[in-house]
Amino acid sequence: MKTNRPAWLSMLICEITRTPLRTALGILMLLLITVQSHAQTQGPLDKTVTVTINNEPLKQALDKITAASGIKFTYNETVAKSTVKISINAKNQPLGDVLRKALAPHPFSFTVLDNEVLIKYDAGKVKKQVAADGKYTVSGTIKSKQSGETIIGASIKVTDANAGTSSNEYGFYSLTLPAGDHELSISAMGQKTIMMPISLSGNLKLDIALEDNSQLLQEVTIKAAPAGARDLASPQMGVEHLSIQETKNIPVLLGERDVIKTIQLLPGIKSAGEGSGGFFVRGGATDQNLILLDEAPVYNASHLLGFFSTFNSDAIKNMNIYKGDMPAQYGGRLSSVLDVKMNDGNNQKFGVSGGIGLIAARINAEGPIQKGKSSFLISARRTYADAFLALSKDSVAKKSQLYFYDLNVKANYVLGDKDRLFVSGYFGKDVLKAADIAGINWGNTTATLRWNHIFNSQLFSNTSLIYSNYDYKLNIKQDVNEFNIYSQIRDFNFKEDMQWYAGDKNTISFGVNSIYHTIKPGEISATGNSGIISQSLQNRYALENAAYVTNTWKATDRFTLTYGLRLSAFTILGSGDYYDIDADGNIIGSKHYTPGQEVKTYVNLEPRVAAAFQLNDVSSLKASYARNAQNLHLISNSNSGSPTDKWVASTNIIKPEIADQFSVGYYKDFSEHNYEFTVESYYKRLQNQIDYRNGANVFTNQPIETQLLYGKGRAYGAEFLLKKKTGRLSGWISYTLSKSERMIDGINNNQWYNARQDRTHDIAIVAMYKASDKWTFSANFVYYTGDAVTFPSGKYQVDGVTYYYYTNRNADRMPAYHRLDLGATKQLKKTAKFQSDLTFSLYNAYGNPNAYRIFFRDNKTDASRTEAVRTTLFTFVPSVTYNFKF
Amino acid sequence: MKNTIKYITIILFAAALSSCEKAIDLKLKDTTPQYVVEGVLTDEAGGCKVLLSQTKNFTDNNDFNGIAGATITIADDNNNVYPLTATSTGVYQNTTLKGSVGHTYSLNVSVNGKTFTSSCIMHPAVPLDSIYLVKDQLNNNKDGTPRKYVTVQYHDPASTKNYYRFVQYVNNRKEESILLDDDEFTNGQEVNTRLNFNNDNDNPARDIRPGNQVTIEMMSIDQAVYKYFYSLTNSANGDGNNAAPANPLTNIKGGSLGYFSVHTVVRKTLTAP
Repeated sequence: MKTNRPAWLSMLICEITRTPLRTALGILMLLLITVQSHAQTQGPLDKTVTVTINNEPLKQALDKITAASGIKFTYNETVAKSTVKISINAKNQPLGDVLRKALAPHPFSFTVLDNEVLIKYDAGKVKKQVAADGKYTVSGTIKSKQSGETIIGASIKVTDANAGTSSNEYGFYSLTLPAGDHELSISAMGQKTIMMPISLSGNLKLDIALEDNSQLLQEVTIKAAPAGARDLASPQMGVEHLSIQETKNIPVLLGERDVIKTIQLLPGIKSAGEGSGGFFVRGGATDQNLILLDEAPVYNASHLLGFFSTFNSDAIKNMNIYKGDMPAQYGGRLSSVLDVKMNDGNNQKFGVSGGIGLIAARINAEGPIQKGKSSFLISARRTYADAFLALSKDSVAKKSQLYFYDLNVKANYVLGDKDRLFVSGYFGKDVLKAADIAGINWGNTTATLRWNHIFNSQLFSNTSLIYSNYDYKLNIKQDVNEFNIYSQIRDFNFKEDMQWYAGDKNTISFGVNSIYHTIKPGEISATGNSGIISQSLQNRYALENAAYVTNTWKATDRFTLTYGLRLSAFTILGSGDYYDIDADGNIIGSKHYTPGQEVKTYVNLEPRVAAAFQLNDVSSLKASYARNAQNLHLISNSNSGSPTDKWVASTNIIKPEIADQFSVGYYKDFSEHNYEFTVESYYKRLQNQIDYRNGANVFTNQPIETQLLYGKGRAYGAEFLLKKKTGRLSGWISYTLSKSERMIDGINNNQWYNARQDRTHDIAIVAMYKASDKWTFSANFVYYTGDAVTFPSGKYQVDGVTYYYYTNRNADRMPAYHRLDLGATKQLKKTAKFQSDLTFSLYNAYGNPNAYRIFFRDNKTDASRTEAVRTTLFTFVPSVTYNFKF
Repeated sequence: MKNTIKYITIILFAAALSSCEKAIDLKLKDTTPQYVVEGVLTDEAGGCKVLLSQTKNFTDNNDFNGIAGATITIADDNNNVYPLTATSTGVYQNTTLKGSVGHTYSLNVSVNGKTFTSSCIMHPAVPLDSIYLVKDQLNNNKDGTPRKYVTVQYHDPASTKNYYRFVQYVNNRKEESILLDDDEFTNGQEVNTRLNFNNDNDNPARDIRPGNQVTIEMMSIDQAVYKYFYSLTNSANGDGNNAAPANPLTNIKGGSLGYFSVHTVVRKTLTAP
């Protein structure tokens, strides 16, 4: 019945009507048409119509008029999708009068086009609208049209007012506006921006589907947010958003895309070095980062000793990292929160994608369970480097194993307009085995059950039940002996988060969180004749509770303030023995606690305040303060991190670590939002920092407190980021100038010393160039000051063997680290049904021999001398990966 | 036990991170020389020996930097004082002094106006029941011949905390590695401990080959001495990749490096088949 004219037509008309001359011409043309129609005996607008329409959507109403009058309408999608509802009660009235009356309060106008009536969106009418009484809320979910995936962080702006919001981590948004007509502009990374007229005369539920913009995606790969939308107005500081597409073209080691490697190219986030999966944020240690996968804490986020992260990029939708200025809903770690969200799975159609690289293969399958309502996703990855070991002639190598696998699964179900359920899980395992002689395996398991509930247009709730587990098993066979060591940390976690969009000025978040931790520090079983008695250290139990409330208050168009409070209570529970320990680490007393008995509770009030002052449309100033408390500590005897590092909860002796961070920042977009410049500076004060005593015994069945010392820390720095977000050439330059120090009683004569991760300079340059539709090239360069380490200041003989003399802790430096990586992606085949590409990368392109470690020994050829020896892990590592999707 | 775990994990990770090694020029700080005292008193004649030396700069040669002119005495807990005399530069001995089990001995070193003191008790000897060779399943010697390690067998006394140090001689060549054991996980048990050593400079003289005569000395040492050697091995190669290296925990007061150990010695010898 209707005739849908292509969208370009209305755009053409809009374009024509923009300038006065064109307007005049347009009017003239319209007049001609009108005249022409008047010349006819009866134009469509003159035709009388009898129809009753009671508050029905525009499109539906037009269809009814057509049915009643035989007059056809022409309109574009904006009209078809409009949520405007009209009412008509006409008896034998001319259609022109009927339409004029019905559309009067709405941003639409009509003209005659041949024998049809063109209904078009009339932006001019919006401005003329006199605001009706009251305020109403428009809310809903933003999704991708193609996949049905909810879109996180989509921007919803009102074009005719300084108002807007962004979708939350479940794609939900809520925006309170004065009654009347408005035009919304909805945009998101990699999606076509759409304009959506709305008419508010009551609360409105509006779900929006955005179309993928695959072409744009290629060109604007690193665009962190839609142009101009680096939340200049939001007080949130120290945050970096990355969607998974942004990592696509960045060259990485062995061609495995990796979100954790990518964030290390951003200012303030530093690699813990090659061969390490950890990262340092603003001078903090690797255990001070809270890593969440669908809200479940991941205790060891690295595979294969850190060469890969546990996040299979095929299954990841989006990630945010907060560098210490965490919103109040996060807590429990001092330095950062890395919040990773998995894809929900395509609920429109079934699809498979995957990739085959030099050492790993991945496969991802997703599809609807019920089209448009529910979906699933399964994503798996395994390395096959060990397949090459089987070819080895060496019998030990032949029987050795070295691999990891991981599996992400997720399903979601829409229960109705207001409820949605998600189930997701992650299972990963690393296996490192030398024939039958020794092996270690370690891995994480997480499971999350979530329930989104929309109470009303302003109140959104998410309830989560979460399980996390990390464990490792070490197996050693030696002669007739076999040893097994097992250690585990396991959490049961309940979370309730509410978001209340309380009017147009306030957004309040509040919630509670309760985690029950069980830590099994170590279980040793031995068989054979070694004399080792099988035993296990006492389990540790703790309940970590928190409640928070925070409000974002849009005080004026320019000034926004977020203020909140998190109250955390960490209760150590029995059963178990807890000790008193003297200054030298000797046990001087102990007390036994029965199961469930409270040993101690640490209560911390953690205020979080942040303010943003928008200087103008393209620049803003922000400042924030946050306190964080941490009750789980990773006690590591190695700086590079090992799967066997110990997670320890606070005890009567180990106190919660506390950090206070103050930061200020300046943000500017320029050249029409093509470039973005940010500078942030911070000062962080740390309390109750933990380190091993000198000569600590790592493998002991004594209480761990006997091996530890405590002190404080401070870290400060400035971070600069210049980003080019659009064009054939895109990328960024990041520079960090920083300092991080510790002062621990009993170390370095109780003087301040550099933290291992203290790096004065850290530079990263990332560039991507889209040469043609087929080829994309990329390069990144990193340079940073070598880690602070302790080198010998002399040597001496003990029992005829050379040993080294040390003076100040961490007063020396590893050589500066620098490296260039190159990458290229060739699009092979691209049809609607199938696409594939080849990715090439070259890691450390000029083969700089970066020091993984430096150690000292007697010279191999001249034993009367000592020498420093540098070991290097990677120089020139090429890779090629084939990716496909259908 | 803990040494086994450490050894195996190091080997595992080293294999996984197989990498390239290169000697480099590294500018290291020099420092004012520090005194090093290495005092030993055993239950055997000729076992009383104190080495006094000073630290050298990293770029100097490895020769023992003995210090002459010190006054060194050892006293027992009956206030008998035994002087030690210099036998070569930095080496001080008392050829007749033997320690007795259960007695505490005090060391006094005076040199250039400085005094270093320490004391240590002699614990009863724990018998070394037997030693035998076991082939390593993971590694071969550099030349491809099977690598063998000594396993020591002894019965740990249940009533006391015990700390052991082993010294291995292959054809009278002393193995450099520090070999330690304690009874934290094996109290009162029949113990078989393999003495793993890492031939990090691929010196064939360190390997145990057919026909070699292998001697193991077993010392029952004091806890403080065990801690000294344990922390010494932790920082032995200055590898900053592990916990920041630091000077070992000494039982000597007065600001010197080193240790004072009073211990019993038992030994066994075998000929490698």
